[in-house]
Amino acid sequence: MAGNIEVKKAACYFCHMNCGMLVHVEDGVVKKVTGDPEHPFNQGAQCPRGASAIDHLNHINRVNYPLKRVGERGSGNFKRVSWEEALEDIAARLKKYKAEYGAESIATAGGTNRTDDWARRRFFNLLGSPNVVHTSPVCWIPNFLIETAIYGWSAFDPEIMGSRCVVVWGHNPGASYLPEMRGLLEAREKNGTKIIVIDPRYSETAARADIWLPIRPGSDCALALAWLNVIINEELYDADFVENWTVGFEELRERVQEYTPEWAEAKTWVPAERIAMAARTYATSRPACIQWGVATDQLGRATSAVAQARAVLRAICGNLDVPGGDVMPGPHPTFITDVEMELNELLPEEQRAKQLGADRFKLSTWPGYKLLNEQLQRVWGKGLPAEWMCEASPPVLWRAILTGKPYPVKALIVLADNPLSSYANSRLVYEALNKLDLLVVMDYWLTPTAALADYVLPAASWLERPVLTTTYGVSDWLIASERAIQPLYERKTDYDFWRALGIKMGQGEYWPWQTNEEVFQYRLESLGYGLETYEDFVRGVRFDFAPREYYKYLEKGFATPSGKVELKSSILETLGYDPLPHYVEPPFSPEATPELARDYPLILIAGGGFMPFFHSEHRQITRLRLLHPEPRVAINPELAQKLAIKEGDWVWIETPKGKVKQRAKITTAVPPGVVQAERGWWYPEKGVKDLFGIWESNINVCLDDDPDTCDPACGSWCTRTILCRIAKVEG
Amino acid sequence: MHWGMVIDLRRCIGCHACTVACQVENKLPLNERWNKVFTVGPEGEFPLVTSHFLPRPCMHCQDAPCVDGCPTGASQRRPDGIIIVHGERCIGCKFCMLVCPYGVRQFAAEKGIVQKCHLCYERLERGEMPRCVETCQLKARHAGDLDDPGSEVTALIKQANARPLYPYLGTKPSVYYIFP
Repeated sequence: MAGNIEVKKAACYFCHMNCGMLVHVEDGVVKKVTGDPEHPFNQGAQCPRGASAIDHLNHINRVNYPLKRVGERGSGNFKRVSWEEALEDIAARLKKYKAEYGAESIATAGGTNRTDDWARRRFFNLLGSPNVVHTSPVCWIPNFLIETAIYGWSAFDPEIMGSRCVVVWGHNPGASYLPEMRGLLEAREKNGTKIIVIDPRYSETAARADIWLPIRPGSDCALALAWLNVIINEELYDADFVENWTVGFEELRERVQEYTPEWAEAKTWVPAERIAMAARTYATSRPACIQWGVATDQLGRATSAVAQARAVLRAICGNLDVPGGDVMPGPHPTFITDVEMELNELLPEEQRAKQLGADRFKLSTWPGYKLLNEQLQRVWGKGLPAEWMCEASPPVLWRAILTGKPYPVKALIVLADNPLSSYANSRLVYEALNKLDLLVVMDYWLTPTAALADYVLPAASWLERPVLTTTYGVSDWLIASERAIQPLYERKTDYDFWRALGIKMGQGEYWPWQTNEEVFQYRLESLGYGLETYEDFVRGVRFDFAPREYYKYLEKGFATPSGKVELKSSILETLGYDPLPHYVEPPFSPEATPELARDYPLILIAGGGFMPFFHSEHRQITRLRLLHPEPRVAINPELAQKLAIKEGDWVWIETPKGKVKQRAKITTAVPPGVVQAERGWWYPEKGVKDLFGIWESNINVCLDDDPDTCDPACGSWCTRTILCRIAKVEG
Repeated sequence: MHWGMVIDLRRCIGCHACTVACQVENKLPLNERWNKVFTVGPEGEFPLVTSHFLPRPCMHCQDAPCVDGCPTGASQRRPDGIIIVHGERCIGCKFCMLVCPYGVRQFAAEKGIVQKCHLCYERLERGEMPRCVETCQLKARHAGDLDDPGSEVTALIKQANARPLYPYLGTKPSVYYIFP
């Protein structure tokens, strides 16, 4: 006889989409997980990760209890301890470091939104340390911040269904955002929307494009500037909008004269006429939108220049905040957003000044954050979350740990992250992790990073926690999802962790909500639904989409010092950056480093998402791993023939920083001079003593993160255009 | 009533969700897949290339060599057109695997029998779609009644000129593809 069956409305947390899931729970046991047909994103569907959710929940290798290192760091010997013992010791040591070296000697690293990030920031603000890092400099944040500097929020909400032309730039939703890909294809089917894809590689999305521009890796800035040149000189821009709502157009016009399509042809390897044709298609198909793509956030010192040129492009073509264009959603007006939970005001000025990297990467740290927020508060009434938008620089952090300069960093708390696989220059990261006095890792698994930790703490995954989806608190909608089951074993949510540690650190008064549900309920109260519990909200309301508003600037102006779109950005100028769009060559390329190109003649793309994995996750889910058992490097047949490499051969990929091996995938998806490696690879099956094979295929071993090569505004390191050589692995 | 499927290859993006969801739904061993997705291409020289993906479930042929060739009557065609394998009658001789031109049948070693996609007929009977149709993020898969001129699948077949894989084999498959 069937027991007590309930269907819970949960949300998948295996990527950012947070697709809605229906979880069938029988007497507290998860029996089935399917897509929620009522959810606006996935409409009942699942990707392979969501479909295999129960494998993840019940995997034999999950970390289920707090573990304390015994013996040498990296020996892989741990013993089970109680949460109380672990937290007591961690708190005591944090207090000691704070007293001896200052709160800034304690840092934390995060990954991609698998946690309630505001809780991390709340803890660190109360602790007094500005040293929170994420992979944020190579994911979204440079774009968000540059756009915010130019027009007072990020126009990250492209209205694809109403667009006549969608530009998918450095982005492959066909492998990484499936609901978005469905939207693209449906827009074309129903409305005849043109799809322009800009990608050096023939991706799943490029394969569906009306126009595909296969640019040289890293030359995005040249393409954007040439588009500006064509659109301005052929007067294809929105003259009314430019006249009434922008400043700096004449300077822009003058500046882009040098960036002709012919100039861009040499940089991008795309014929000038084709560049011009695509520019005309974009500019004359109104409304049009440009989707954010992660690739251009990973161009090292060229990163923010691309974002700047593209932001200006959107603006002069009159696509900002129009139906079918690039909508700036703004923060949710009513509910309590992330930034309102962070307690940034409690971080003293002198501690802000100590943020690692804030002296050089000024837009993504306190100096820029302060300037931007003054404007945002004025127009939107709310600012951006400091989490992600105002962070220490990871490359500077690793170096501070190693050298003790500018001051000692003794402790690192890692949640939802695996720095050994997810940050560039893995050997340097390894040395830094080893040098720490205290490394705490909270995760689902014993990862290569966790293998080095002093404490490994068991994390609850999405079936075991409620999820409030708010796009980091920067969009005007929210979707609430409930916990399917209470955490198994001794797993906890990150909120539980920060709260418990915070109480031990004397922060008790700031953590009044005992559970995730209580704090979510508190954040939703101002919506006025008057429901008694968070679960009532999920069951009765679930979504809150603020009424869509277009042309908000007509009433509010833009959240910039001039109240207009600043084609010549006063905020960038104040921070010491070029206020006008300009060309920057990425740090490693045949042009930037010709001497290096002699020994390393190939261009390496060291990134890109691929199914069925997300970042460095899911390699231990056998069902998924069997679909894609080994890392693969894409090599053009012409190059493969020259180097006598055959399909499936192990191939060394070598840069001045190091070498790793991946299997050859011979394909015309890449041109002969370019190879694309897969990211995030480690081998959970290889065992803790070998650090799960982290040195074998992890492409980040080959990447440099020298701060001099990073983006001067946002600190992004370069992953999308590196010089390398390849050779068949002999023997 | 004739259950059939239309798979829109213009939409399939090769994510393998159908493969995995089918495995989970039918409690298959990790290496047994009733619903494989193949990659075709890229063909041509960079950048003039084309490619697509090809999901390949059981075709539920109306003139099914597997049914004709089964010595024990384990493989049968149901009145609604779905080809099923009666596990208790199957002796694991694998002859059906030999004669299936689409290679969709799998030997389940631990049971000693042959298994394959049965279009989730139990779900269909409950009024639900096959699990692969339900899980498809791109909505590339559609199931319905091929006998009903008003059904979504017949409309799609007509509008988009969908056709079966290798129709010249004469097996009259119930799965149609919209080719890119």
